[in-house]
Amino acid sequence: MLSYGEFMENLSAEDVRREIHRFWAIFSGKLTDRIEEMYSPTALAFTGKAKRSESAKLIAVRRSRRLQGGMSSSSVDEGSIDVQIVGPNVAIAAYTYTYRTDKARADGTKEQLETLFGRATQIFQRDEAGVLRIVHEHLSATANPDVKKPTG
Amino acid sequence: MNISPEEVRAEVRKFWDFFSRKSKAQFAEMYLPSATVFAVDSRRIELARLMLVRRERELFSPASSVAAKLGPVDVQLLAPDLAVASYPFHLSITRALPGGKSYYAEVPSGRATQVFQRHAIGVVRILHEHMSSAEPVTVKELPATGSPAPAPRL
Repeated sequence: MLSYGEFMENLSAEDVRREIHRFWAIFSGKLTDRIEEMYSPTALAFTGKAKRSESAKLIAVRRSRRLQGGMSSSSVDEGSIDVQIVGPNVAIAAYTYTYRTDKARADGTKEQLETLFGRATQIFQRDEAGVLRIVHEHLSATANPDVKKPTG
Repeated sequence: MNISPEEVRAEVRKFWDFFSRKSKAQFAEMYLPSATVFAVDSRRIELARLMLVRRERELFSPASSVAAKLGPVDVQLLAPDLAVASYPFHLSITRALPGGKSYYAEVPSGRATQVFQRHAIGVVRILHEHMSSAEPVTVKELPATGSPAPAPRL
């Protein structure tokens, strides 16, 4: 009988990049998959203005609610993704990104938020079923998002 | 020997101890040569060896100082030889420049992710580091005594 490690193909940088593209496609509303399913149940994340790391699953649930809420459109430009494969099942991805979103306000106007200098570290690990999941995430920016005036 | 949370926390403490004591060689030895780093205020990922040259030039001079207070360190064990440490920190830096100007920078709500791996010789090293600030970093110029110089990078 083959062990888990024997039947599993080696993790590749392309596998990781594919998951990152999927992550941002969900994040920007272009895919309807559940973003929380991309995370391991024990994953930790630093994001936004949070001073401590939090359960990534909880953050993902909040993101899902926002995605289903008032956001009208968003887009992401990922920079070159550096991938370090650090074991048969673990990889560290690090990259920069630009994120733009049009947010609908209560008065019907829209405002545009632009994160120009986003930086991401995402650590992926295959779970027991062979599914690649994020086990640690650190999203940050070196400048506050640029907010453009509301438009009707 | 499997890497343990206690060992990772000890490495994190060593890291900040070497940084604040400006122990250049020991600080540099904490990184794998191929390690990658997001510094607090860097817009791009850089190789640790380049970051080390910059930190040595800007922060390890005799008149510069670094002080850090760490919050609780979470450790995730990903493999027998691999662990991720994540924790908040408060960082204060004074940088004295050769021209006489000094700057004081404060990172009140720093956040660190450091990935550690044990290598064949048994030593634990940093493979990747991501530091950021949940609040804007404040940089103040201290009373000037010389020519203008660029503000410090962290």
